[in-house]
Parts: sequence; C-alpha cells; structure tokens
Amino acid sequence: MRGYHDIGGDDAGPIPKEELPWLYWEKKQEAMRNLLGDATRRLVSLDELRHGFESFGIEKYKRYSFYRRRLEALIDTLEIKGVLTREELEEERARVGRDWEPENTGAASHGKT
Amino acid sequence: MEKRKRIPARFQVGDRVEVLDLKLEGHIRTPSYIRGKAGTVIQFCGFFLNPEDLSVGNTSGPVYPLYRVSFAMNSLWPGYERSEDDELCIEIYDHWLNPPES
Repeated sequence: MRGYHDIGGDDAGPIPKEELPWLYWEKKQEAMRNLLGDATRRLVSLDELRHGFESFGIEKYKRYSFYRRRLEALIDTLEIKGVLTREELEEERARVGRDWEPENTGAASHGKT
Repeated sequence: MEKRKRIPARFQVGDRVEVLDLKLEGHIRTPSYIRGKAGTVIQFCGFFLNPEDLSVGNTSGPVYPLYRVSFAMNSLWPGYERSEDDELCIEIYDHWLNPPES
C-alpha cells in the first residue's frame, strides 16, 4: 500500500526556500488539538488526524494547506465521535462573526483609546 | 492502574534488520521507500503506543519498541551519486522489522 501522502523519493523539482508565516488560526488550532489529545482527555490523537487526511481523498489533500488538512481531519474526527456537528460549528462561527461586526463591538461609539 | 502490555524488544544496537511490507490499510508510519530494505539499528528509542492503534482511536493497546535504523542512501535510491557514506536514519517500530533474510 502506498498512500497519496507517501511521496518520499518522488521527483518534486526545486524546494522553495521561503519562510511562511504561522497564522493565528493555525496556532490556535494546534493549541486546541493539543488540549483535545492530552492525557486527561484523549479525544483526538495526532495519528487519528493523520489517518483522517490520509484517507479523505487526494483532491481534498492536494487542495488544502498543511494546517487546513489537520483542521478538516480534526472536525471530521470530532464529528465521528459525536463531540460536535458541522452544523453546530457553522452556527458558532456565524455567531462569533456577528460579535466582531463594528456595530456589535461598541468600537464605533468609543472611538480610539 | 492496570499495567500496560509491552511488546518485547527483539533487536539491539548494531543488529542488521530488514523492513517488512506488512500491506496494512490505514495509517502507518513506515514509508514505502524503506520497505524491503536492509539497515542497521543505531539506537533504541523506547516503548511507545502503536500509531496504527492510535489512528483508529485505540489508546489501550500495548506499547511497542521503537528503533532508529540507518540505511545507506545508495541502497535506497537508484543512481545515487553523492558519498557512499551517506545514510538515512528513520524510526521504525519492532513489528515492521525482521532479521535479514529470515
């Protein structure tokens, strides 16, 4: 068996040597994953995430960034385990998004501090 | 707390080993380019839960011996033109190894 992620030794051309910024959501996601997988919870292991993105299809795998793959696999795993649903996640994301609209933060009336 | 089962270590530093091709489905941590190749154990890393168990949410399995194994680069890549002393070191679990030609 050779999975689509198992690319060691394949021709890939020159390696782009550029520093990629670590985005805030990526750090936050890794922090959450660490908490979900720690010894007191053991809800999601890193190997479950790997299993997730190594089996969710090559198209999705190629389309997503390193951290996005892990995020998608994390959501899939939590959904399989009945911890949350995609619908709940979307609802929460919409709610948090609304909280950050200027008319809801009070920023407009307070001005600069 | 119940004592966790431990798979005994079959190899020692300096042993020659051959990597098996276990044809397992699911998440494995032995890349395809190393399967069927012969190398030398250079370090014993300790006992760890098997990622194959962890990948399907099984956290109650036994712990497995993990070794750091060294392979000659020119034995892995056909036409390798750099130094014949170049090595690739990779961590491999006990159940993926056998003594050579056994």
